[in-house]
Amino acid sequence: MALQTIQRDLVTPEEEVKFQKFISPPKDNPDTPDRLKPDIEFYRKLMVGVDLNLPSRLPDGTDKVKMMVIADDAPKNRLPEQFPSPLIRVRQGQIVHVHADGGQDGHTIHFHGIEPTPMNDGVGKDSFEIGSYTYQWQPKHSGTYFYHCHKNTTLHVELGMYGPLIVDPPEGPGYVTGYNLPGHLIRYDVEAFWAADEIDTRWHDLQHNAFLTHSGHDPNDPSTFTSDGILNDFRPNVFVISGAVRANDTTPITDSRVAVKAKVGQTILMRVVNAGYTIQQFSFGLDADVIAMDGRPLGVPPTGKYSAPFRLSAGTPFRLTSAQRWELIMRPTRTGTFPASVDYFDWVTGKKLATARSQITVA
Amino acid sequence: MKRRDVLKLGMVGLAAVSFKSIGCSGGSYYVGQDISLNITEALFEMVDRKPVYMWAFQDPNQPDPMKAGPRVPGPVISVIEEEDIDLTITNTLDENHGFRIPSAPGRPDVVDFGTLAPGETKTIYFRAPSAGTYMYFDPLNSPVNRVLGLHGVMVVMPNNPLNRVPYSHPTANVQALFDDLGTTAEFPGHAWEPSRSRIWNLHSIDPRWNAKAQAGTPIDSGQFQNGFLPRYFTINGKSGFFSSHDMDTALEGHVGEPMLVRIVNSGMATHSTHLHANHFFVLAVNSIVQGNVFMVDTYPVRPLDRVDWMVPFERPPDIPVHPNNPGQFLRIDAAQELALSFGGVRQSPLDYPMHCHMEMSQTAAGGNYPLGMVTHFTFTGDVDGVPFPHQG
Repeated sequence: MALQTIQRDLVTPEEEVKFQKFISPPKDNPDTPDRLKPDIEFYRKLMVGVDLNLPSRLPDGTDKVKMMVIADDAPKNRLPEQFPSPLIRVRQGQIVHVHADGGQDGHTIHFHGIEPTPMNDGVGKDSFEIGSYTYQWQPKHSGTYFYHCHKNTTLHVELGMYGPLIVDPPEGPGYVTGYNLPGHLIRYDVEAFWAADEIDTRWHDLQHNAFLTHSGHDPNDPSTFTSDGILNDFRPNVFVISGAVRANDTTPITDSRVAVKAKVGQTILMRVVNAGYTIQQFSFGLDADVIAMDGRPLGVPPTGKYSAPFRLSAGTPFRLTSAQRWELIMRPTRTGTFPASVDYFDWVTGKKLATARSQITVA
Repeated sequence: MKRRDVLKLGMVGLAAVSFKSIGCSGGSYYVGQDISLNITEALFEMVDRKPVYMWAFQDPNQPDPMKAGPRVPGPVISVIEEEDIDLTITNTLDENHGFRIPSAPGRPDVVDFGTLAPGETKTIYFRAPSAGTYMYFDPLNSPVNRVLGLHGVMVVMPNNPLNRVPYSHPTANVQALFDDLGTTAEFPGHAWEPSRSRIWNLHSIDPRWNAKAQAGTPIDSGQFQNGFLPRYFTINGKSGFFSSHDMDTALEGHVGEPMLVRIVNSGMATHSTHLHANHFFVLAVNSIVQGNVFMVDTYPVRPLDRVDWMVPFERPPDIPVHPNNPGQFLRIDAAQELALSFGGVRQSPLDYPMHCHMEMSQTAAGGNYPLGMVTHFTFTGDVDGVPFPHQG
């Protein structure tokens, strides 16, 4: 008996406009609707090239990787181009404006974990892709976030179009919201932000719009779709933490963006994000209290009313998948050099791909 | 309460389901106390209309011709805790197959049929386990038979659904959350209604292995696990535009209408499901109702994991509240945006995505972003019941 074929849904003529927008969002430069006066402003330019130098040559002789980042675009005191993209730091309750320049190609910025209207959420198929636009939002919850381009996201985030985003409580840097009666405010002395990531250098030779669907074609015609893409096939060969490349599985990264220095009696706030596409296993050689996940403090009402912070004893590993963020508090009680590491595991096979090591030095 | 009424409360928006789509939809769909499933085969068109051979479940007693065909994932089995189930499985294919429903880790299976030879039919009685989300699948040659199509979801409802908690023994924190929905300042609106539920069966497909199965070539499970390169990513058998607009899959409602989402991963990849516009509460993982109930925007779903979320449908919290809008109504705070259109599509209602953040899963055939594991999360109106203007 012949095999039955179960058809995919057909796109009706009435649905075609929505389908075309889904696969090929329009580029536009609208004024920000429902605009309010900002308390703080940032300027960002999408897809600016910057070289990431490698500590040793890859087997093919490569000694650097071309990254594409979201650069600072401020009219004055502009920060240098950097990978990851520069920090956005605001306070809870501020009205934030991010003036973004998408250039000729059309990009977006999604502020991951921030929950504004769709036009300010930076997802093209649910709004538009920018030429130029001012994103507006007002963070209700302090915590650890990040931002990234959400066009052909698979490729654009991998190319480096992401950066850290911190929402401080109203008291500003030096304080973090966490379970601590009566006011649920924890003061810290040392702050670190680990954005662990991996790079598949093959992808960095691709055009930014590689393997997108052919827009304008009949969505019911199989030839509308590309069939030769490699964006399902992630084979990272460079491993980084916050832009610092690890040389090998054993040599600790000493880059000041990663290695932590503190004194006995001080409080360390470690912000951790999986900014890559592997399963990342973190381990810190000091006892740590996990005080928040994804910008929501544990044990702190109202959102944390049903949860509680918990202790990870020194060396206890924990795993984060892509875009998960944890905040940890460490209070070292003795001097020494304590290991800190990330193991990277393949998202399908579960096999360990690499280890990046660094350290926490307590004086 | 009669069984029929209990199930009616738990149906996934059954009355509203469009049966336009067939086959690949996991759909809102259940079979009763006498459940029969056939193990069969079919070609399923992927999102790019390329056909892929899959093993599939089929309900031989399904009267609705639109739902009677082979399905990947299989029909949703919906039962009530502690009721006696009479389950019949028939293997219509040419090789051995099996059928198993695991329980919580370390606990005995809910049911395991062992091996069904070609042409064999077996009936097993079992008692429905504690309320929650379960996965059924063919465990033979693991994970090959499951991944090639033989999997589905079983939902077990508590026998006291009037408590309005989807578990019979909720932890204190889960009970407190459900008590708060619709009654506290943080969660204005409505309590959770059992009909406000969705199922997301996540799956990944590498057609090269399906082609081997179609050719009758034996598949070594070790080679399969080491050589699996997923090329299609589905939610309830659909991808991209189609999973985003599937009424059984997409989340839709007014502010203040919380929704339960039951997620299972029958595929090979670890997913990192990320919801825009709302953080959600993680209620249960692999039949364990959580004591520490995290509110997060991203949560992992490993192969074989079962994870329940409560999406509060709260007003997206970071939309600025305009002066003179004490009710924080979105139709006022987003008044200008709701009137706009881009690409011929209105901004009203407010659409957001849910997608896996292991972004390879957002592709199909290695590209075609975003025709992968994605769906819509849509706000259609305000907490006071007023729909948004300009919808279309």
